[in-house]
Amino acid sequence: MEAAALSRGSSFIFLVRFLCLIRIPFVLLRVRDITGDRQCAGFIILILVLYIGAAGAGRPLSPLPSKADDDVKKPLQTSRPYNFAHRGANGEFPEETAPAYMKAIKEGADFIEADIQATKDGILVCTHDVNLDDTTDVAEHMEFADRRTMYEVQGVNITGWFVVDFTLEELQSLRAKQRYAFRDQQYNGKFPIITFEEYISIALDADRVVGIYPEIKNPVFVNKHVKWSDGKKLEDRFVEMLQKYGYRGSYMSKEWLKQPCFIQSFAPTSLIYISNLTDLPKIFLIDDVTILTEDTNQTYAEITSDSFLNHIKDYVMGIGPWKDTVVPPKDNYLESATDLVARAHALGLQVHPYTFRNENSFLHFDFHQDPYVEYDYWINKIGIDGLFTDFTGSLHRYQEWTSSVSKM
Amino acid sequence: MSSSIMGPPCSILFLLLLLVARAAARPLYPLPSKVDNGERQPLQTSRPYNIAHRGSNGEIPEETAFAYLRAIEEGADFIETDILSSKDGVLICFHDVTLDNTTDIAHRKEFADRKRTYEVQGVNTTGFFTVDFTLKELKSLRVKQRYPFRDQQYNGKFKIITFEEFIAIALDAPRVVGIYPEIKNPVFINEHVKWPKGKRFEDKFVGTLKKYGYKGSYMSKDWLKQPVFIQSFAPTSLIYASNLTDSPKIFLIDDVTIPTQDTNQSYWEITSDKYFDFIKQYVVGIGPWKDTVVPAVHNYLQEPTDLVAHAHAHNLQVHPYTFRNENQCLHFDFHQDPYQEYEYWIQKIGVDGIFTDFTGSLHIYQEMTTPPHPKDGGNDDHVMSLLHKIALLVSPYEKV
Repeated sequence: MEAAALSRGSSFIFLVRFLCLIRIPFVLLRVRDITGDRQCAGFIILILVLYIGAAGAGRPLSPLPSKADDDVKKPLQTSRPYNFAHRGANGEFPEETAPAYMKAIKEGADFIEADIQATKDGILVCTHDVNLDDTTDVAEHMEFADRRTMYEVQGVNITGWFVVDFTLEELQSLRAKQRYAFRDQQYNGKFPIITFEEYISIALDADRVVGIYPEIKNPVFVNKHVKWSDGKKLEDRFVEMLQKYGYRGSYMSKEWLKQPCFIQSFAPTSLIYISNLTDLPKIFLIDDVTILTEDTNQTYAEITSDSFLNHIKDYVMGIGPWKDTVVPPKDNYLESATDLVARAHALGLQVHPYTFRNENSFLHFDFHQDPYVEYDYWINKIGIDGLFTDFTGSLHRYQEWTSSVSKM
Repeated sequence: MSSSIMGPPCSILFLLLLLVARAAARPLYPLPSKVDNGERQPLQTSRPYNIAHRGSNGEIPEETAFAYLRAIEEGADFIETDILSSKDGVLICFHDVTLDNTTDIAHRKEFADRKRTYEVQGVNTTGFFTVDFTLKELKSLRVKQRYPFRDQQYNGKFKIITFEEFIAIALDAPRVVGIYPEIKNPVFINEHVKWPKGKRFEDKFVGTLKKYGYKGSYMSKDWLKQPVFIQSFAPTSLIYASNLTDSPKIFLIDDVTIPTQDTNQSYWEITSDKYFDFIKQYVVGIGPWKDTVVPAVHNYLQEPTDLVAHAHAHNLQVHPYTFRNENQCLHFDFHQDPYQEYEYWIQKIGVDGIFTDFTGSLHIYQEMTTPPHPKDGGNDDHVMSLLHKIALLVSPYEKV
């Protein structure tokens, strides 16, 4: 698909150059003289069609420098647990913005992670919350003051400005801000929300192979509020976008290694639905012990039971649990680890827990306020297969250092 | 002569001997660790010193035995402490002049009437002062963690320890561990505590070190056996102490607004070239507050000052304080990553020692990036160290 777009693109450039050279009006005059108006009109239509075709492909018409040497890009590392840049390097930048992702890539992320929802006009965007209150300046936009409303989301009434009530153009007039007050505020008001497509191009344009890890986020809620004219759902649009950019292949296949991708969701039915559409690897996210699945209303106990894991493993290749359910804490000290990882591994399921953060308020006392000690525990003691971290650079540094020395 | 005549004098002699032994305050038999003194792993001197600031107080209440034992376990090169005095002139390990922030004094009804207001370095301070409590009374208190965001589980469990107890912890370690005691608030202490024969705080301080065999200039054979740095904010105390011992001394420097407690000199004066020229006759280095070396604005680092270059030009070491893991103590340049902060100060600024509340983290950082030189004949260590060095050479050339 890409090659076709490129060849269309290059053909168009050739045409443009040719036309400029011979000057369109002069040509048309000459053509009309020779062949008559109908052929002239046909010529114009041909040019227009080619132009629209190239534009509609959605890729730049000239190959980006990084695409030229596709085969020599440094491949994805697969010898140690994956470093997932959770919402980009959001320890430093406002989450899910272009700079957050680019910094994460620079810092060594294996995968950049995003949450995909839909705008009022059905465009897929990268944003975590159903509402815009905590991560954008929407509250300061007087023009949207009347959009504040209340919806039920997974059984809870939430008030705010909702993504599903804004068109893409309106969303992109907002500016992102850092969610946590104790993190760097200097980029507030600088960056817009990006689309799923923009996120994908950041990954594809990296100078080494960088995987993507998008989430089908709040599908029940989004499908309730956003309707596509062709009757398709969020899950369909999601997979279409991936396929448009050439993401395909099962885990560790040749195609997958070229463009690695994990699809994640808290909703089992969404994952099962899309397994009919793509063989890309999927990860089943698991929330806290008190939260029910949004689509099937199942409890934590049920979805982590042997029988359920046995069932879901036909559709997913791993789980993404909240780390405090894997090793529960008490008074900020770790208790004994549960057997979740062992059972998952026994069924051939990878485990990618979330979320690792450097701030001492997120670190249990066993780790002595040292994020590297926490990485060490989860990687070497618990033995997980990937980590969602807000601090890509720290995890990368830890992995680089410890891969070059034997265990301490 | 029959034994009956010799009996009583013998018993008395025996009793006297016991008294002498007790007074010497060291056990009469050598501790297990003292027997194989020559076999102990020596102090590392190939990379900046890991100075356990008040012990491993990120985890355990500061300046307690447990905090120091933990620091040694975690790999400290030196354990650091602040020496003050009790009312009866016993030197103790304690940082604040008052007991309020780090002990349960507030809950002790028997001491309720001891609250006082004194002037300390020009500031009127109210609280319960160590100089108003005898050692016995101080030992009845229990220490607590100073910061609420740190582990509170050891509150009420440990006591204040004496300078001698601190020294014993260092000497009894399974490897050579240095000590880094501070002559703390000497002006205030000498004002409130009087020792017999006109001795001063500084005399008692050095006397204690000598009693336990601390001697020798920096890097001498004696010093390497029992490493020590004497530190103080008061230049006259350091100069006075240099007449008593050749153990290396470090001149501590406070924030830019604080004058020295004894000579009332400003930050600018004591960091001037002229002053370094003078003080270097008495000290081997300086211990500045790190935000004066590289100032920060809006939690971002500015351009470093030339203090380190200055100091190094005068052959003075630089040991900045204090490094802490908590994100509120880390400037944004470091992305809430304490290891990045270590990296900056060690690689970029080039300091010679680091006072840290988190001994373990600094040790891990140093082990991962600069493992110590292998001992001669240690084959496995040597191989691993070599492999590591090779890896370090290769990794900068890999793209990410």
